[in-house]
Order: sequence, then structure tokens, then C-alpha cells
Amino acid sequence: MTIRLDPTFLRELQEYGEGGFSECFNCGNCTAICPYTSDDYPFPRNMIRLVQIGGREKVRGSIDPWLCYYCGDCSETCPRGAEPGEIMMSLRRWLTAQYDWTGLARKFYTSEVWEIGSMVVLGLLVILTAVFFHAPIVTDRVELNTFAPVEFIHTADWIMAGFLVFFITTNVLRMHKFIMRDGVNERIPLKLYLTEAWHLVVHFATQKRWAQCEEGKAKRNWSWIAHMLLVSGYVLMLVIIIFFLKWFQVDEIYPIWHPQRWLGYYATIVLVFGAARAIIGRIRKTLQMHRFSHPSDWIFPVLLLVVTLTGIFQHTFRYLGLPLATYYTYVVHLAFVAPMLILEVPFGKWSHLYYRPLAVYFERIRARAKEVALVGQPAAAD
Amino acid sequence: MTKIHVDALVVGGGIAGMQTALDLGDQGYQVALVEKEPSVGGKMITLSKVFPTLDCCSCITTPKMSAVAHHPKIQLFTYCEVDRVDGQDGEFTVSVVQKPRYVNADICTGCRLCEYECPITVPSMFDRGLGSYHAVRVPFSTAVPQIAVLDIEYCLLCGKCEKVCPVGAVDFTQTPETFEIDTTSIVLATGFEMTDVSAKKEYGAGRLSNVIDPLMMERFLAPTGPYGRVLRPGDGMEPTTIAYVQCAGSRDETLGIEYCSRTCCMYAIKQSMLISGALPLAEVTIFYMDIRTFGKGYEQFYQNAKAMGVEFVRGKVASIQEDENHYPIVRVELTEEGRVVERTFDLVVLSLGMVLGDPLARFGLQPAEDGFASLPSVNASPWATTRPGVFVAGTAGGPMDIVDSIVTASAAASAASAYIRSKTQVSIEEGEVAYV
Repeated sequence: MTIRLDPTFLRELQEYGEGGFSECFNCGNCTAICPYTSDDYPFPRNMIRLVQIGGREKVRGSIDPWLCYYCGDCSETCPRGAEPGEIMMSLRRWLTAQYDWTGLARKFYTSEVWEIGSMVVLGLLVILTAVFFHAPIVTDRVELNTFAPVEFIHTADWIMAGFLVFFITTNVLRMHKFIMRDGVNERIPLKLYLTEAWHLVVHFATQKRWAQCEEGKAKRNWSWIAHMLLVSGYVLMLVIIIFFLKWFQVDEIYPIWHPQRWLGYYATIVLVFGAARAIIGRIRKTLQMHRFSHPSDWIFPVLLLVVTLTGIFQHTFRYLGLPLATYYTYVVHLAFVAPMLILEVPFGKWSHLYYRPLAVYFERIRARAKEVALVGQPAAAD
Repeated sequence: MTKIHVDALVVGGGIAGMQTALDLGDQGYQVALVEKEPSVGGKMITLSKVFPTLDCCSCITTPKMSAVAHHPKIQLFTYCEVDRVDGQDGEFTVSVVQKPRYVNADICTGCRLCEYECPITVPSMFDRGLGSYHAVRVPFSTAVPQIAVLDIEYCLLCGKCEKVCPVGAVDFTQTPETFEIDTTSIVLATGFEMTDVSAKKEYGAGRLSNVIDPLMMERFLAPTGPYGRVLRPGDGMEPTTIAYVQCAGSRDETLGIEYCSRTCCMYAIKQSMLISGALPLAEVTIFYMDIRTFGKGYEQFYQNAKAMGVEFVRGKVASIQEDENHYPIVRVELTEEGRVVERTFDLVVLSLGMVLGDPLARFGLQPAEDGFASLPSVNASPWATTRPGVFVAGTAGGPMDIVDSIVTASAAASAASAYIRSKTQVSIEEGEVAYV
């Protein structure tokens, strides 16, 4: 297959991270040390080589960067200090920007002013909306649902959800086109998309491939477990606010054993733990995956921590019976939640929460298609 | 304290140091040659054959060893270490420590009766720990000088050697003695060591019994080797599949060694050829990143090895593990095919790189970035260090092979000669000392 070469590709990628694409002398150490490499996906060296020769289209259609979980073995042992792990991370950022047709992802990854600026604007919009359109303020007792009626918020959630579904779906379709259609010769039976769908669900829920990275290592770093807890809290909260907000945002205080309370507490604890772990890790830089921090890597956990902390404050003020403090923190909470969900999920680092399981799903479908093709061949010859 | 006056002090009695001493001695200069081991010969005397001619190493080294010992202008000080260098500009005072041999060097005849009587056997460092020798011994069969040395760390003080010695040379009361050498110039030929294998944990950090270093393989292949044949050290099996891991200690930032050690490609190719001779049924595979065969006749040597059936595979070995029977398993990406394989071998040789052997601080020199002696004008005068009157020969200045070591040794001798002459001629003009 021919590759169209693009000499500007390498320069473009340097905006997406600190990997040393030009350092690499292609010795193959990274690929051989990688616990995940396979004959079909011999990364990371194949990716670095493609970048070096300017194979933009080949990289755009690659699954490989999504199959890497950045355990850091390659970076630790690279004889050139080329940081293959960070190169894969840069490629994931670049791919996210490629999948996104709006161009926002590219802006966010290449300019922190754009990323932070957009979030500030959206956050201010939320605050202004609250300032001008809030419902009556009850000050003798806490009545959050009078200040911000749950029906209104819930409707806003649904609008937001619709927005997310639209952008995520269109971006995922582009991802699918790049990976499964462009330059792919083998025919992939449609049926496989259905029969293998459970892979998508399993990998979304568990990221179990990641656990394989830590297998057999002398020193486990528990990143996989920590990440899975974080995801569980995150998804739980997302489901609650989009589908069960009426049950969650109530003025009545339920007893402690009520699921509304302990589900909320569980999510809060794992979110604080997960976000704090990421921030502390990035400050200390002990793990390979935390050594380089692109601005998007900071925005991600910091935003999550702020959202969770404002949620905790608001919850505490409500229980202490402080009406104004509750309302203010509620608005601030929303001012962080809205940019996090509306901007970061479809266009920012959050997008990996669906791109990565989808990539694993596509990989599985491809592998199955290959098997089907192999088994099917004699029949076709008859 | 005894004091010796010489024109040139050569530190290190390996091939480079011996060549420098002989060149200077032949020109009529008074030379002192200081060697830290009990015998001269350095690393080269332990090797099997030299590339690219496959000449016998001993046949080149032993005549030079004898020559330095018997040269009328060369004073040989073995088992001595330089402690400190004072002075500058052609007036150096070097303080040297004579380590105790516990054998009187003046009367020992090298008859080896003590060695035959000694009840203690210790791992032979001459054989890289593969063979053994006695706690009191003549260092090796062709050692120069043929004087016994007693390894007090292992000695039981049983006194058998003392009783059996026909000349009464064994002397347990010796202590380190310091003496001084006044010299006009100094040539450093302190040599190299192999990269520390324990630094590379992916390669087993030296704990895998059938993963060896190239100097061990040299001993296997040398006619004077410990077993007289190639056996793997783990269980004594004759290996039939042998792998070489190139760049195992060079061109690797994780080890802090970014330079190419220049010799590893060639010695691996040479050993693979010798193995083909020693074990005709053995299959040798060399895993490499780049093959660098830059010297006269070297590329042809490489092509010959290929033609002989040595397998060359491009890819840096990422890890070496072993199976339950201690067979090393090599994991590598075949970069020309783009897939990762794991291959099991009987024996793996790590082509380790070269690092500076002895620290340079006691000579008042700062190491360069690569750890070797800093050579301020490496293109114009690659023998000159940062200190006037102090020259460098062989691998103290950087990794190089035997051919280059000898070339730089003669170059350093020539530069030292000019320097000594310039210093003594100045003295003549001033009417102080006449050069004879």
C-alpha cells in the first residue's frame, strides 16, 4: 500500500507533547519491551517510524496509540531517551484532534488560552444565567429547588446530553471512518459490530486490558484500579444527574442509609481520591506516565477536583442550613460542571473515555473479521 | 624513602603502556613503567585472537612483555599503584605505593612450588572468575615478571608455602611501601573496564548464569582458557545456539553511556568466527542496531562472517529472561519485519561497552563528559591532556581497539619524547642540567 508522505507532520505533532520523535534511531527496544505489542500492532516503534517519514494518513487510521496505557516501560528503557510513551500520548492527543470535525479539540490541545478561555466564558455564562434568571431566593431555610428548580436543571441536562450525543456521535463516526474504512481493503461484516458489542461495554466498564500492563511487574503501581474507581464514580454521577436528578437534587434530607446518600458519597470519595492522585502524581513525577504534563493533563484532574470539592461544600452548607452559601456554591459548582461536560468530554482529554474502548472494540472486530475471512476462504473457492 | 629519576613515567602495563615504554626506551629515555597488577600484559594477554587478522594475541603480547622487563632503559614496577602526582611543567614528583606481594620479589625464582603446595583455591580473576588458581601463585603461565604473589584475603596463614619455598622468599610481614619517582613527563595508559552489567536490569543484571560478558568468551576461546573449550558456565553444557547482544553497554542513555564503544561489533564478529571453529555445529546470532566496521579490513571481516553463516538480526534486545533450565530467552523486535519474537539460546554474550578503568583524579585530570580523559584538542593532538607534560595512550582517552591503542601509544611516546627534549634543552641553555 502506498503512503503519501507529509514532511510537515512531525512539526505539527510537536505541538501535542514532548516526545522525542527525532531522537529515535529505530532500534526496536520499545516495541520489544512493551507488554501489549502484537504482530498486528507492533507499537510504539511503528508509530514513531510513521511520524518520522511523514505518514500522516497511516497514523490517522491507526488504532495503536489507543492500545497503549502508558505503563512507561518503553520510556524507562529507551536507549535514546526518545520517550516513546510520551510519543504515544502525543499521538492520542493528535488523534482526538483529528476525529473532531469542529476543530475545537485541535485548538484546545495546541493553545491553553483557547482551552481555558472557552471554559471561563462558558462558566461565566452559567453564572450570569443564574444571576439574571434564578427563581426566588428563600433565606430562612435551605430550599435549593426553589432557587434552582430541578425541572429546569434537568431540562438543561437533557439539552446538554443531546449536545454531547450529537458531537460525540459525529466524531466517533469520523474515527470509525479513519480506522475502519480509509485505506482498509478487507470487508468487515456488519454483523460483527453487533456480536462484538459486548467488548465495548466490558472495556468501557473495566479497561481490563490495562491490568495486563501491570501483570508480572515487580512493582505494581495500582494505576488501573485507581483509574477504574475514578471511572465508576464519574459514570455514576453522570447517570445520576442526567437520568435521576429529580431523585438526587431534593430539599428533603434523607437518612444516612438511603442509597441517594451513600451512592453520592461513594462517587465523591473516589472522585476526590482519583483526581488528587493524578495531581499529586503529576507534581511528584514518580510514575513514568506522570513525568510529562501537557496543559490538558493538568486541566483534566484539576477541573474534576474543583467540581467535586464545590459539590462537597454545597452539600455541607445545605446540611448546616446555610441557604445563601448553598446557593452560591451551587452556582459555582454548575459553572465548573458545565464546561467540564460540554467542552472537555467531546473536545478535550475526557474524550478518551469513549475513544479508547471504541478502539479496543474496533481492534476486536478487525481481528474477528480476519478470522472469518480465513475460515470463509475455502467456502468461497467452491 | 627511595627516589627514582626518570624522563618518562608510563602508568599502565597493558598493550598501550608497553608500546609507549618500549618506544621511549628505544629512543634512549629512562622510563619507569608502573602496573597495578602483579604482571604486565593488561587485558590483551587474556584475549584469544585479534581482529581482523585472527592473529594469536599472546604471540603479539608476550614478546612485548618480555621486552619491557628486559629493556635496559625501562624500570618495571608491578603490583604498584600511583597515589599522587605533584609538581607541573616537566617537574613531576609521583608518589607510588608498592602493594605487598608477601613474597620477596628479589629472591623469588618463580619455581611455583608454593603454588603447588597451597591448599586454597580461589576464583581466577585472570579467567574472569571461570577457572581457579591458588591463593599463592605466579599470576599466569606467561606472567612477567615470573614472581609469585600471595592473596592475603584468601590465605589461611597455614605456612605450607613458606616451608616449601627453596629460597625462603615467602614473607608474611610485608606492608605497603611508598616510593617517589621524579619524572619529566607522564603517559597514562590506564586502560578500560567493561560496562557494569549489573546496571542493566532488563538483561538480568548479571544474575543469569548463562549470560556472560565478552571477556569471559575470550577466555573460553583462548588456548590457555580455563576449560580448553567453550562450555556454558551455568551447567557445563556445550552450547549449540549462541546469541550476541550488541550495544548491551553502549549507546544507551539509561546507562549514561551514549557513545559507541567502537570495538563491540568487531569483537562479536571475531568471536562468532572463532566459535564457528571451536564448535562447528554451533549457530551464532548477532542482534545489532547498526554494524560499525570502520577499520582497515574490517568490513571484509564482517562480510566473511556473514558468508560463514553467522546470522545478523537487526533489533535491540529489550530483555533477557531465563526458562526453568536457565536457558536465556531473548526478546527483540525484528525491526526489518516489524514483529516481536522471543528466542531461546543456550548461551548469550552481552557485547558490553568500554568505560574508563582507573579514576583520573589522582593525576590531576578532570574526566570528559564520556568519563574518559579530557582531550582538549582531540583532532590536532589526541595524546595531549589538559595538563602539560601528561599524555594519554590507549583506552584511557576513549574506547578503541588494539590497533588504535598501539597507534596512540606510539603517538603519545613521540609527543612525550618531544616534550622531554624541549624541557631538557631549555635546561641546557640555562646551563643547569645537560641532557645525556
